[in-house]
Amino acid sequence: MSAVEQSDPRCPEEREEDDLVMNLERDQFVAETSKPVPRAELSAAVKTGLWALRVFVVVVGAMVIYTFVAGLH
Amino acid sequence: MGTPELAASPLLGQPLVTDEDAVRSRDRARVHDARHHRRRWRLLWLLVGPGILAMLGENDGPSMIAYASDGAQYGLGFFVPFIPVLFAMSYVCQEMCMRIGAVTHRGYGELVLQRYGRAWGLFGAADLTLTNLVTLVAEFIAIRVGLAYFHLGPGVAVALGLALVLFTLSGGRYWRWERIVLGLALFNVLFVVAAVLVKPDAGALVSAFDFARFPSGSFNTLLLLLASTIGATVTPWMIFFQQSASADKGMTPADVAHGRYDTALGAVLAAACGIGALVAGAALLTHGGSGIQGFAGAGFPEALRRVAGGGAGAVFALGLIEAGAVAILTISASTAYAAGECVGVTHSFNSSPRDAAIFHAANVGVALLAGAVILIPGAPLLSIALNANVLATVLLPVSLLLMLMLANDKPLMGRWVNRRSTNIVGIAVVAFVAVCGAAYGIDSFLQTAHLIGS
Repeated sequence: MSAVEQSDPRCPEEREEDDLVMNLERDQFVAETSKPVPRAELSAAVKTGLWALRVFVVVVGAMVIYTFVAGLH
Repeated sequence: MGTPELAASPLLGQPLVTDEDAVRSRDRARVHDARHHRRRWRLLWLLVGPGILAMLGENDGPSMIAYASDGAQYGLGFFVPFIPVLFAMSYVCQEMCMRIGAVTHRGYGELVLQRYGRAWGLFGAADLTLTNLVTLVAEFIAIRVGLAYFHLGPGVAVALGLALVLFTLSGGRYWRWERIVLGLALFNVLFVVAAVLVKPDAGALVSAFDFARFPSGSFNTLLLLLASTIGATVTPWMIFFQQSASADKGMTPADVAHGRYDTALGAVLAAACGIGALVAGAALLTHGGSGIQGFAGAGFPEALRRVAGGGAGAVFALGLIEAGAVAILTISASTAYAAGECVGVTHSFNSSPRDAAIFHAANVGVALLAGAVILIPGAPLLSIALNANVLATVLLPVSLLLMLMLANDKPLMGRWVNRRSTNIVGIAVVAFVAVCGAAYGIDSFLQTAHLIGS
């Protein structure tokens, strides 16, 4: 056993646990990443843009699905 | 989140350590050691992975068949310079994903869901699941095409794909999964070998770097070409995958520079292999290549055998098997990450199947479902495969736009937000993809509904 280990009052399991903690950033632990981030505050322009995007997706997506289904027959 | 605790740290104020943390911490210890001792090549070796896998994973079965098909129909002109341009676009998008994952330690799905609301989060997951399922079917078809060259049937293709998914999951560790898939992905260079074996004219290859040679054909054909080629280089699953994998690998802001090397290396490799498939396909230009139905039988490998010999055919067939197999692994993983993130449960390769049941079930389940489709007699496989890339392209602008918003989210990213130049390029990429996808979708619809002539 090294001199450092002899002078360390922690048991080997505790030492290993602390070493593990040191290798990760604090916000990298599962306990931290499992906390949800707050909802973003979006400007009116961004909200309008997102609504336009929803319309785009629904319309063009429906067109592609129609084309695909029609192509099967 | 349902992650089991390993133990509470004895030091007051330090977070609880889970099994997943413990596994990730051991990987990070090696990174810290390499950085501390200034072992540059070792550090690079430890930190590469998500970028190369996203790029080479996207050089999947349908993409390589699309490149070969472009070569067989139009020759080398236009596409030889167009493929690197597309991978440069892809680099811009994937670098953002890597940076967001390294800075926030969170996946794309959970960030969109939490920052922009459940509607967008669930839409992203549903969009991803749909396009992934369709693409996975196409991957099994690609393996089937490759195996058909060696007189093996679709049952073997399904068994091979599923066995690989189960084998890579068996270690319970991200590092092991990543290294196995990386090892497989490097065999994408088989397409470069196939290109060499067809003995291309070097002069024609050099003169192909001329954008003036725009392919001829109807407006709809050109849009399909653009949409399917874009769909072969930038896709929603890559965005989900690289961000989540970067977080799962344990990358931090200190690793962003290496993440960029990783992504750039992946883009260069993928562009080279994509051009390899194009060059191999171009050998069929004057041999009826445009009429090849790649999914109906042995397709391209068999045609290459007749034109350039058995070696070229066998290498191309092996390349298709590899491309399909790697894509099955990466695309299944992206589906699993999205499922875990949107349901709000553990989503990591560093967790055991017992601790991350939904993650592992989604990973195996989506591959199983896609494999079952190609065993259905009379299933419209050709139509599914051709529409997979186009559908992904049409739905892609949403994923790209939300990714741009995340990368500009100052409270989330701090000093790692996008620079002005990155935003200019990023917005240009989103606009280009959106216009191509929408134009193709609208034009095809109008033709199918007989509202315009073809």
